[in-house]
Amino acid sequence: MIFLTVGTQFPFDRLVKTVDDLVAGGVIEEEVFSQVGDDAYEPRSFKSVASLDKKAFDECIHNASAIISHAGMGTITMALDTGKPLLVMPRRKRYGEVVNDHQVAIAHKFEQLGHLLVAYEPEELADKVKLLKGFKPSPRLVRPEAVVKRIAEFLDGLPAGSAS
Amino acid sequence: MVRVMGSDLRIALVASSGGHLSQLLKLSDAWQGRDVFYVVTTDVVKKKLGADKRVYVAGECNRQHPLRVVRSFWRCFEAIRRERPAVVLSTGAAIGCLCCFIGRLFGAKVVWVDSITNVEHMSLSGRMVRHIANLCIVQWPDLAQVYPGAEYMGNII
Repeated sequence: MIFLTVGTQFPFDRLVKTVDDLVAGGVIEEEVFSQVGDDAYEPRSFKSVASLDKKAFDECIHNASAIISHAGMGTITMALDTGKPLLVMPRRKRYGEVVNDHQVAIAHKFEQLGHLLVAYEPEELADKVKLLKGFKPSPRLVRPEAVVKRIAEFLDGLPAGSAS
Repeated sequence: MVRVMGSDLRIALVASSGGHLSQLLKLSDAWQGRDVFYVVTTDVVKKKLGADKRVYVAGECNRQHPLRVVRSFWRCFEAIRRERPAVVLSTGAAIGCLCCFIGRLFGAKVVWVDSITNVEHMSLSGRMVRHIANLCIVQWPDLAQVYPGAEYMGNII
């Protein structure tokens, strides 16, 4: 199963429609299941729900052979944590899908690091989807400990019980 | 005065859904054992955090939806007014910005952690909040060079 998710904040019809066309046209043969958000385009070629609770969402990620999503950091993190191949299409400011183009920047950065595949435009999706199954994401090494330590030290330095 | 460490330093933890929340939760060890409450955007997130947590729901908002910003502002204001945290800590986005400024009005210290997705600039929220932040953390080394006072110490996600 390919899991298609665009977050729950705002719809991302441009991506869902494109995947719908690819499934209808036989380019994607595998079963697709999607979380598309409220008031969103409803795909005709595969099942979709507006939103999933945490448990159901985790199950979808777990059961997926691959994930297609917007370039939201929540989904990217889950894909990297579970080692699932991920193809993202960034939301764009010019289509009113997001307030700025940060998704383009993070998609580009993570593409360079080998963490994920990117289709910057719908036209690239068909070719990138073919690469998805064989894609092995490079694991991401991070050190939240350094930031945790800095914040803990900052909090330790404050007098307790005062709000000024 | 003898300083008592730990639980009586109340902290507001503020994050929008998705990556902002994931990044906040990765930092949980920093406030282990302290008196914390959350301000989040949706009931889905509230449920996800668990029934044992004190959680306020401010609603989704961004600057494309001014009316939602007004609604979220009042919900954030109510949460901060009621709880009077000593610290407001946020990973963004808009509701984090609101809570930091509101918290500051009530005398709270402000900690801002800019999301990793801000590669080329700090977020708009971050660029506003950094002026009132007591601790401002970015996740790309270049940004620490560009914004005075911003600190870089690695990625959290």
